[in-house]
Amino acid sequence: MAPACSPFLDPGSHSAADSLGVLQLKRDHLIPAILSASASADYAEGKVENTRFGSFPHSTLINQPWGTQILASVVDTGSRSAKSRKRKREGNGDSEATPGADAEEVRREIVKAATASSGFAHLVPPTPETWTLCLPHRTQVVYTPDYSYILQRLRVRPGDHIIEAGAGSGSFTHAAVRSIYSGEASADNNGESAGAKTKKGKQRRGQVYSFEYHAPRAEQLKSEIVSHGLDPHVTITHRDVYEDGFCLEDEDEPNADVVFLDLPAPWQALKHLTRSPPSAAVVKSLVSDPSTPDGEVTASPSDPPPATKPFRSPLNPSSAIRICTFSPCIEQVTKTVSALRSFGWLEIGMAEIQAKRIEVRRERIGLQEEGLRGANPSAATVQEAVQRLRDVEDRAKVFHGLQKEKQEQVMRRAEAKKRGEKPPAPAEDEANGKGSAKTKAKLEGLPPSKHDRLERAKKELENRTLFKEGRLVHRTEPEIKTHTSYLVFAVLPREWSKRDEEKARKKWG
Amino acid sequence: MQSQSHVRPNTYVALRLPSGLLKLVELTPNTNINLGKYGAFAANQILGRPYYLTYELVDKEDGKEDGKAGAGLRAGAGLRVVPASELHAEALGDDHATPAETREEDAPLAEGALSFDIVGDDGEVIMRNNRLTVDDPSRQKLSYEEIEELKKAGAGSGKDIIAKIVASHMAIEEKTSFSLAKYTLRKSRKYLKRFTVLPLDIGTLTEYVTEKEAYKIMELREETLGLICSWADGHYSADNRVLMAEDGLSQIGGGRWLVVDDTGGLVTAALAEKMGILYPNEEAEQLSEEEPAAPPEDSSAAKTSEQNGTADIVMAEADGPNFAPRSESTLQQESAASSGEPIYRPKRPFQHVPQMSAQTNTITILHPNNQPNLSHLKYFGYDTGNPPTTHPLYTHLKMVSWLQLMHPTEDPSYIEPKVVPEETLATLKSSKRGTYYKKRRRWEKTKRVVDEARRGGFDGLIVASSMEPKSVLKEAVPLVRGGGRVVVFSPSAEPLVELCDCYSKERRAAYIAREFRAQPNGTTNGTRVKVEEDGPSGIPIKREDDDDDDEEVNELDDGITDDDFPVNPTLLLAPSLQTARARHWQVLPQRTHPFMTSKGGAEGYLFTATRVLPVEGKVEARGHGRGKKRKTGPETSVPS
Repeated sequence: MAPACSPFLDPGSHSAADSLGVLQLKRDHLIPAILSASASADYAEGKVENTRFGSFPHSTLINQPWGTQILASVVDTGSRSAKSRKRKREGNGDSEATPGADAEEVRREIVKAATASSGFAHLVPPTPETWTLCLPHRTQVVYTPDYSYILQRLRVRPGDHIIEAGAGSGSFTHAAVRSIYSGEASADNNGESAGAKTKKGKQRRGQVYSFEYHAPRAEQLKSEIVSHGLDPHVTITHRDVYEDGFCLEDEDEPNADVVFLDLPAPWQALKHLTRSPPSAAVVKSLVSDPSTPDGEVTASPSDPPPATKPFRSPLNPSSAIRICTFSPCIEQVTKTVSALRSFGWLEIGMAEIQAKRIEVRRERIGLQEEGLRGANPSAATVQEAVQRLRDVEDRAKVFHGLQKEKQEQVMRRAEAKKRGEKPPAPAEDEANGKGSAKTKAKLEGLPPSKHDRLERAKKELENRTLFKEGRLVHRTEPEIKTHTSYLVFAVLPREWSKRDEEKARKKWG
Repeated sequence: MQSQSHVRPNTYVALRLPSGLLKLVELTPNTNINLGKYGAFAANQILGRPYYLTYELVDKEDGKEDGKAGAGLRAGAGLRVVPASELHAEALGDDHATPAETREEDAPLAEGALSFDIVGDDGEVIMRNNRLTVDDPSRQKLSYEEIEELKKAGAGSGKDIIAKIVASHMAIEEKTSFSLAKYTLRKSRKYLKRFTVLPLDIGTLTEYVTEKEAYKIMELREETLGLICSWADGHYSADNRVLMAEDGLSQIGGGRWLVVDDTGGLVTAALAEKMGILYPNEEAEQLSEEEPAAPPEDSSAAKTSEQNGTADIVMAEADGPNFAPRSESTLQQESAASSGEPIYRPKRPFQHVPQMSAQTNTITILHPNNQPNLSHLKYFGYDTGNPPTTHPLYTHLKMVSWLQLMHPTEDPSYIEPKVVPEETLATLKSSKRGTYYKKRRRWEKTKRVVDEARRGGFDGLIVASSMEPKSVLKEAVPLVRGGGRVVVFSPSAEPLVELCDCYSKERRAAYIAREFRAQPNGTTNGTRVKVEEDGPSGIPIKREDDDDDDEEVNELDDGITDDDFPVNPTLLLAPSLQTARARHWQVLPQRTHPFMTSKGGAEGYLFTATRVLPVEGKVEARGHGRGKKRKTGPETSVPS
């Protein structure tokens, strides 16, 4: 069941059942979930999202203010199986519920989830941005830096009609809906189709006309759009637009102002995006153009569409049409641009978006960081380095002195043995004891050993305020998308006939 | 998008000149537009015509008929629309005029014979190389004086000048076709008398300002603007539900955005475009276009029919169209109506809606001066000094100064003017009565807008300001609803890097630990929620209070002070920093490459995050680290 208003467009203050919510675990780790209040066969708590950060039964997610930090719950994730469905296996003891085979009975008996001792996530409302981060990938995704620029440069505004061909994973679809959305349909004219609305003097309602060549993908997108409550604003058509163009049953549709083509061969679709039937010469020149691939030859026999049915333009006759094609390869760009030129598009330009994310961290450098995580324990300054070298030398000096003493002692003892004297053991011991005390005294004033230093660093760590120590630095994140696609932009002005000019001249002189 | 169907009178358009520069002009009917050295033409010649057409200024002698048609407009030249095919043919150069060029076939040859001229089957030289090119300015035989002479002779559109110049180049045959195309293009930029009419929208305006005074818009680029609006989730939301928080007063969501804008209103305009409130409504415009005297008449008719009382009618006349007559009851009716149906219906009697009264789909500007600087909005027909009532921004753009937000009682316009009883009012002179109502209405407006802003619940926050982001976010983030988006733009990285650090994981952990220690019994309330009784309003306003009694907390920790937490780090989730830049390319057959030069300057960075509502009490994190049993510190959170 589709929610009354889409959480993308009007999330309301709280999350609602049967509507999309996004569970954000980390910055790039988000889980989309259609929140369900009904029971599930697998868990006593109803539907559950299991994550690395704990389990989140939907009952703990529904009717929460958006943005709430949700604590994980104790859910028995180990013993679910078809067999154990009847037997109650509850991790937490406080539940008496026995999920029966009867579904209705089950619905009544959702166990109240017990809060776990650790783990949390945040419940955020879905937006095209969050959706882009967590959508199920079917094809290459159009990411936020690209689609935001495309929609900005195409000047997409509420009330526009936009053609999107090659819907793919639907990331652009969602962003486009947000841009063209201009209110709900049902508000004042019930029962009328979207097309009929535009006829009236009423404000034109925005609509996305999405075309997808791949049937399963089109189906999947359709069900996604419905479950997101966006179906009144998106028309998804399963069609090969190279062959069949963009016109729909209703003659007011698509009546597009904006076109976005994410197709492998956008130049093959351009012949359908004209205001008047393209002259045979132009089409032929494109077809016979040796630069176009062989695949086109097979498409060419279908060239006389005016013969079969009257020409109808999918474009809005009273506005300038703006187009963007999205192609990863430069060869595609060349062909697209040459086709755009022959069809009379203007203001042709191409750009690529280079986006990067920046990581910010504190870089701690210095000898005090010895043995600590996430820091560089080398000397931070010349002074520190000199001091450390001095310390090492001092220790070495004492150490060598001691070594020498020891050696001398051994020598002395050996000499005594040689002379046949019996070394006075207790005296020697005494001397030894004295010696060790002396060494201790000697070592006392020395700089600490490495072992001591590590100990000390560890101990000091407890009282340190690492969050504000070190130097604040920023750099590009390790993984960047160096190339997504080339964006070709163009504009097709309104057709301007002699009669139009006459009229304008009469009015304005 | 209907507003882009044709060029309308009394609106701004951008004209792209052959030099590539933009010129913004306001198209007042029956005036002339001067393009400097390129010439002049009458505004009426492009009014009512579509956008994106390229016109050529045709000489008066050439276009006698044009002159007759545009009778009464003696000055200025005739205009000829340059067809697309002609434009393309020129851009491509002669060799590439046809789309079905045979370049591909020649390509392998070109590779094999790099230093030789490319000769076609018929022996004709197709492509020359630059081996023999001589770099010498004296190869152009026409002197400067001669060219000036040609120009004075008024030789048409400039095309013949260019032809003459090219023809008198001694070594034109030696040029490769590419360099010839480049040469012609360069000359075209100088001598061609052409211009293209572009609609003035966010993209064109950005391009225009960037060229002239980029600092005024904080060197924002089109791609950054797009990114800002996307991350802020700006969209049309006039039909959104009006939902109240538990207190019954504070609105939550409803498509309201909070904006701190030091770009002269460019960011506001970009957001307004996304929300569908930037461009004057076409129907309203047509109304004024066809019957300019209509609105006042309509309004008085509306007033009588709405039984607003005689005092109000007098009032409206005294105030002009800027102030709408209304009583408390009609205000509510009207605001309810505006939330449901914000679009004007021309057939209905003209309805007066108070300024800044929309409940949904609104932008609230937080500004540091008495008046916000939104000068760029004038290009979209909205003058903040004298706002036109028909413009959607009239009801949907709200303005609150920082003083009003922080200390409303110190702002005189927030203080209620004395109520004068009806009887006394009746005895007053009408002008005095007018001033009285005017004052009342101004106060009502200020109070309504300020209270609404202070109650928060905004869907998003956009900051593009030279102010310290930390100080802005400290005050503004609590006003954003849970799940709302926070976007901060800065031309340079450093302020945002510091901001990211304020919201770092380590700092958050320290903050939580500290709050927890301050309240050892476990009932954390680090950020005390203070309910202020605010002056005459009597509206309790929830605000996070950080200033007053933090001193005591200070002593609890060693080495950590309040200065370490300029913002509450638990209120934002997933703070990230990003930047994007569009690289523009030249796309000509066989000559596709990125442009050789472009603008440098500020890179432009974006901080984005989501406002969250942390749970009360101690929360233990789970699953951190890479599967190792590394204990992370206890994560506790505080209520907001």
